[in-house]
Amino acid sequence: MMSRIYVPISVFACRQPLNLRTATEGTVNLAPVDSDNEVSSSSFSDRPAIAHRRRRSSAGSDSVPAPGNNRVPPLRLGQQAQYSQQTLSPIPGTPNFPMSLSRSPSPAPGGGWSSPGLNINSGRSSPAKASFSGPNGGSVTWESARLKSQGVTGYPSFSTHNQGFFTRHMRRISSSLPSFNVATDDRYAEKEKLGRGRWKIPLLGRIRAGITRMSRKWKIRAAIALLLLSCYILFYITPLWYYWRRTAWLGGGEKFVIILAANIGGGVMEWKGAREWAIERDSVRNKRKYVARWGYDLEIVDMSTKKRYAHEWRESWEKVDSIRNSFRKYPKAEWIWWLDLNTFVMEPSYSLQNHIFNNLEKHIYRDINEFNPLNISHPPQANYLDPESLSAVGDGNVDSVNLMLSQDCSGFNLGSFFIRRSEWTDRLLDIWWDPVAYEQKHMEWEHKEQDALEQLYINQPWIRSHTAFLPQRLINSFPNGACSDNGNDSRIHYNQADRDFVVNMAGCEWGRDCWGEMYNFRELSYYLNRNPWERFKEDLVAVIWEKLTGQKVKCAIGQLPSGPAITLIPAPVPGLDR
Amino acid sequence: MHYAYPSRKRHRAISGKPAVVLVTVFDDKIDNTVYINNIRENRMQYAEKHGYGTLLAKTSDYDLNGSPTSWAKVVAMRHAMTKYPDCKYMWFLDQNALIMNPHLKVEDYVMGANKLEAAMRKDIPVVPPDSIIKTFSHLRGNDVEFVLTQDKDGLSSTSFVIKNGEWAKFFLDTWFDPLYRSYNFQKAETHALEHIVQWHPTILSKLAIVPQHIINAYNNNGHGEQYKDGDIAVVFAHCSNVGEHSCAKEAERFSQQWRTSFSRA
Repeated sequence: MMSRIYVPISVFACRQPLNLRTATEGTVNLAPVDSDNEVSSSSFSDRPAIAHRRRRSSAGSDSVPAPGNNRVPPLRLGQQAQYSQQTLSPIPGTPNFPMSLSRSPSPAPGGGWSSPGLNINSGRSSPAKASFSGPNGGSVTWESARLKSQGVTGYPSFSTHNQGFFTRHMRRISSSLPSFNVATDDRYAEKEKLGRGRWKIPLLGRIRAGITRMSRKWKIRAAIALLLLSCYILFYITPLWYYWRRTAWLGGGEKFVIILAANIGGGVMEWKGAREWAIERDSVRNKRKYVARWGYDLEIVDMSTKKRYAHEWRESWEKVDSIRNSFRKYPKAEWIWWLDLNTFVMEPSYSLQNHIFNNLEKHIYRDINEFNPLNISHPPQANYLDPESLSAVGDGNVDSVNLMLSQDCSGFNLGSFFIRRSEWTDRLLDIWWDPVAYEQKHMEWEHKEQDALEQLYINQPWIRSHTAFLPQRLINSFPNGACSDNGNDSRIHYNQADRDFVVNMAGCEWGRDCWGEMYNFRELSYYLNRNPWERFKEDLVAVIWEKLTGQKVKCAIGQLPSGPAITLIPAPVPGLDR
Repeated sequence: MHYAYPSRKRHRAISGKPAVVLVTVFDDKIDNTVYINNIRENRMQYAEKHGYGTLLAKTSDYDLNGSPTSWAKVVAMRHAMTKYPDCKYMWFLDQNALIMNPHLKVEDYVMGANKLEAAMRKDIPVVPPDSIIKTFSHLRGNDVEFVLTQDKDGLSSTSFVIKNGEWAKFFLDTWFDPLYRSYNFQKAETHALEHIVQWHPTILSKLAIVPQHIINAYNNNGHGEQYKDGDIAVVFAHCSNVGEHSCAKEAERFSQQWRTSFSRA
């Protein structure tokens, strides 16, 4: 406590001579001993010394009574003053300052000073030059104040002006040096035990120092490097890229949801074998990768035959419920893309936006006469219908399209289609299944909901004017095995050279090998979408190596012949492999 | 990379001129021209008074593909939409009915949102007495697209109002589906209507059932609510073409009345 109180004095004494002076004047006035200037000056030069003494001695037990404030007790001061007066008495009437300099502030023997430390600087002869304030700061301070007033120097005695490299950079250097944490305050001693001996590296300071030392040229270079690095991180490492593609006003990915029908007919009806599992695994993985790349959503729906639908004769119409649920689950979704399980996205680098939606009006055809395998008479003919319903292309505005599907050789194909969130869609989904229609038609409707949609399209003009068709190979290419009655059809069948987007192994479960086709298309997709390094390795290095050594190089990805699109694994005899 | 959707297409704005189209389909087989002309005149005068449009069609105007002629009302409503694309409402009123009160306007008296909300019967079985499908209890007047009535037998299709728009197209096309026409419902289009409102919530959620006296009061209380003076129209329910209670005879009781009230107005 005591030392605390006195520290301010010593600080004042050392660094702020003017303040000290006023303060001491106050105390001098308290001392009634002498009105002489010199006395006051001597007492003034003494008192800080007392303060210093006390501060110094505060480490040990201090016998001096602690004053409650900065003032020295009058009695003691009186003693000192008396004493000083005694020592000063030989030089009366000589108020010259140089005199005071030569005057020794050290007490005479027997003066009662207990601290030997006082004497160290007490005999100092040139306090005016002192830039370093010693323990006996009192006189020095006074002297520096005087010098200041004389204009000798513009700095206080402890001077902050540049004194050399070390002084100038000490703070910076020390701030960037590791500091060893030592407990200094006993109040925190307990806590500090935990951190004792740990190094704190002031990283920020170090970086700041580094930047300061850097030349302008290097700063620019570093900034460019940092920019490139951060771009790379942002776009290829962090999920920012994904969110960028998702956001409605940037990529728009969140407007698309893919529904993948999994587990068809499973559950009640039949057990899945290894091939079925493999097909499902590959198909799901393929769509997962695709949506992750473009920021879409993927909804995998379980199409296993449910008792609910079996009871209501509504198998296959659960598609309707799945679409409805997905619109509810993804409120930002505008388009839902339905995909059957036996489909494979061959070109994951195509985004739906680029591939279809940015130029929707160029891709779709609304007049079914363009490709009309069902020979539906279009547009509808009736004397009561409005011009829009009678038009072959609806209102002709691409925004009025709410359903987009493709046709294969035998009519509508719902293995891959798009449906848009709208009231129109709600209505379609609502009437898609109707018991009266079903009762009359279920024997004819081999493809159930697909045939029901055809029926609706034919009979109800309001559906036609909002339905559009996409060329099959844009979203739904068939392998050679499907629709094969009339040979290869460039409107229907997958063509490797054109890099078709999606392949749909429609009908593979009827006598074809689903897994074989899936496997082949998967490998083909990998092969077609190799990165430059893989191409270099496989198309150049491996070929050269084969020429040189005559040995075939095994590639990670099966080398596919570039001639025929697909070599199908022969279909196994049905019933044998299960 | 930036991809903005074109703003959703707003459906063509309907200006509401005329506000209402009166639709009546006359049966070609009735050769009582006096009766038919009386009805026709009744419709014309009412329409003229309020500036409404009319579609007075014949059953033979439409190719029903062998279905009962009563189906013609559905397609006639669709025809009214084509003929008056800017009308706000279409009111179908059966041939065997007379408009009695020339002062009431359909768009206010029947379709006014507040009136409708007060009048619609909420949370009742759509098809009495025991259908588990009930009318919506929180339907707002502005959301109603279709106003009809129930009589003692079930839904009545002798008088109903539909709001023009995309929903109307959907509803009428659905109602007119050949698979319903070929199903041999006992009461043809009326039973088909009962079927679709019970099975398809997008239809049920847009319809309001109102008390009969608002648009569909009967000439006697044998089949439903009886006409009282001041009601907008009287329908001669289940009248026959000939005999003591033929439609023409029933109409005579009201003919003088409608003519005097129209001339006074």
